[in-house]
Amino acid sequence: MQNTVLVVGAGPAGLAAAAGVAGSGAKVVMVEKAAQLGGTPILSGYAKLVPSGEWARDAMGRMIKRVEDDKNVTIYKETKVTKFTGEAGKFTATLSNGTSVDCGSAVLATGFTHFDSINKPEWGFGSYEDVVTTTQVEQMVAAGKIACPSDGRVPERVAILLCVGSRDRQIGREWCSKICCTVSTNLAMEIKELSPTTDVFIYYMDIRTFGLYEDRFYWKSQEEFKTKFVKARIAEVTRSPDGRLLVKGEDTLVKRPIVIPMDLVVHAIGMDPNEDNPEIARVFGIGLEKHGFIDRAEHYTNTCGTTRRGIYAVGAALGPETIDDSISQGTAAAMRAVADMNALVQKTA
Amino acid sequence: MAIHEKSLIDADRIQTNDNLVLDGVDVSGHWNTMVLPRYLKDYDTDFARKIRTFAGGENVHRCWQCGSCTNSCTVYAQNTDFNPRYWIYLTNLGLKDEILKDKDIIWTCVSCNKCTNICPKDVKPEGVMKALAHWLEEEGHTPESKSSIFDEEFLSQVYATGRIEDTRVLVNFLRKTNQSLTPPWLIEVGKRMTKYLPVSFLMHMGLHLVFKPRTKSWGRTGDVLRAYVREQKEIARKQRAMPKEAVHV
Repeated sequence: MQNTVLVVGAGPAGLAAAAGVAGSGAKVVMVEKAAQLGGTPILSGYAKLVPSGEWARDAMGRMIKRVEDDKNVTIYKETKVTKFTGEAGKFTATLSNGTSVDCGSAVLATGFTHFDSINKPEWGFGSYEDVVTTTQVEQMVAAGKIACPSDGRVPERVAILLCVGSRDRQIGREWCSKICCTVSTNLAMEIKELSPTTDVFIYYMDIRTFGLYEDRFYWKSQEEFKTKFVKARIAEVTRSPDGRLLVKGEDTLVKRPIVIPMDLVVHAIGMDPNEDNPEIARVFGIGLEKHGFIDRAEHYTNTCGTTRRGIYAVGAALGPETIDDSISQGTAAAMRAVADMNALVQKTA
Repeated sequence: MAIHEKSLIDADRIQTNDNLVLDGVDVSGHWNTMVLPRYLKDYDTDFARKIRTFAGGENVHRCWQCGSCTNSCTVYAQNTDFNPRYWIYLTNLGLKDEILKDKDIIWTCVSCNKCTNICPKDVKPEGVMKALAHWLEEEGHTPESKSSIFDEEFLSQVYATGRIEDTRVLVNFLRKTNQSLTPPWLIEVGKRMTKYLPVSFLMHMGLHLVFKPRTKSWGRTGDVLRAYVREQKEIARKQRAMPKEAVHV
C-alpha cells in the first residue's frame, strides 16, 4: 500500500500539486529536470505575471518555499524519471540519479516549450538583432530597461506580432496559444511605463484576451496606454538602409500593403508541446494527442486523467494554459491522486 | 506606353510629365508615365492625439473596429463611401493622406448620434466626425464651413446681448455666406407667420429688430464668456502644436 505521490515538474502546476498532496497528509516525491524550482516563469525570467501583476520571483518564490518547507515533500533537482512500472496504487519509478520511488499515483506537470521563432525565418528572428521574442522583452522589463539589442537605443516604435508559432498550419501549429494576446497587451503597457515616448503597435488577426482579461489588459492597454492595434498579419520583416526594421504585410482594414519602419519587433511566441513529450510518453506509457500535448482522459468523471490509470496530467502539459489555471489544475490533480489512494485503502480493508 | 486597365489605378498615383528630357532624349507626355506604389509607407504617430484635442474626438483611440457605427449610420445608408469606422481607424494609425481623400464627404454627418448610442467602447463616433471636420477646416484642407459661419454669428449676438434675435441671425448668416436674403423657403415662412401668428407677436419681433434688447443684468457676462471660449480654443490649439515628446501617451 502506497502513501506517496510522484510529481514530475516543479512549475506552477507541479508546485500546486505537491502542496495539495502534502497538505492532505500524504507524501510527495518531486522530480525536476532543471537545477532550480519554479518552472518556466523562473527559468525564462518572466517579469510581472498576468493577471496578478506580481513579480514572478515573488509569486513563484512563495510557492517554492511552501513546498520546500514541507517535510512531506522530497525534492530531486536535475533529475528525470527514466522508468515507470506497475499499476495504479503500486507504481515504481526509477529516477536518473538511481533512486527508486514507490508511489500510488503520479502527476505530470511537465509544462511546455516556447515556440522557437527561428522556425518562422521570414519574420526576421535570428537574422536581425532587433527582432526579439516576448520572453526577451519579459527579461528586459524585469531588468528595468527597454532597448534595441543592436545598439542599446531606446526604441521609438515597437511592433508586437501576435500568433508567432500559433494558428499556423504552415508550421503544423493549429492551436491558439491562448495567453499571448493578454501577455502582449500587458507588455505593451510595461514598455510604455519604462519609456513613455515609445509607440507600441500590436499586429493582430484577432484579439483573444478572454474572460476578465478583456478590460484589465486589452482595453486598458488601448485606452490608458494608447497601444495601437493594427489588423494585419505581417508577411515579412526586413531591414531598411538606415538600419531600422521594416514590417511588411497587408493592412486588411485599409486593404493596402504596408511597409512600416520599426525599431524593435517582438514575436509573441506561442506554446509548443514540451520538447520532451515523446520521451515522457514512452517512459510513462501514456498517449499524446494529435498536436503533441499529453492526451486527456474523458474529463467529466476522470478529471486531469491521462490514457493510463493512476497517472494525471496538469497545466501546459495538456495544452496552452495560463499560470492561474495550471495552479488550479495542480490542486485538482492532488485531490485525484490522494482520493485514488484512499479508495485503495477502503478496498483492502 | 499605354497603361492597360488604367481605371483600376487611383488617379493620384499616375504621374505624367508634359515636358521631360532625360539624357538628351525627349520623353515628354505619356512616355514618362509612372505609377506610384500602392503601399502605405508610414504612420503619423501623433495624429490621433491631435484629433483628441478637438471637441468630440477625445475617445477616438478606444475604437476596436467592430463597425457598429458604420452599420447604424444614417448617411452610410445613402452613401457607402461615408464610413466612420474606417476614418476612425485611419485617425488612430495616423494615415492622414487616406483621410484627406474623403475630405469632401466627412462633413456630411447629420449628427443623428445613432453611432454614439450603439458604440460598445464609447468612442463617440459622431464627435469624431465633428473633430475631423474641424481639423480639416483648421488646417485649410476644406474652406470655412457654413455651420462655422453660423456659429460665429450666433455666438457674437449671445456675447453682445445674452440672447439672439432670430431674424438678425438669419439675415447676417445669409449675407456672410453670399446667399439670397429672400430664398423661396423664407418667403413661405414669412407668409405663414403673418397668416397664423398674433399681430402682437409680430410687432414684438419688429420692435426687437430696432431696439436690440439685452438680457437683464447681462453686464460683463458676454466679455467673460468670449474670453473663456477664446482661452479654451487657445489651450487646445497649443496642445495640438506641442511636440510629441513633450506630451507622452
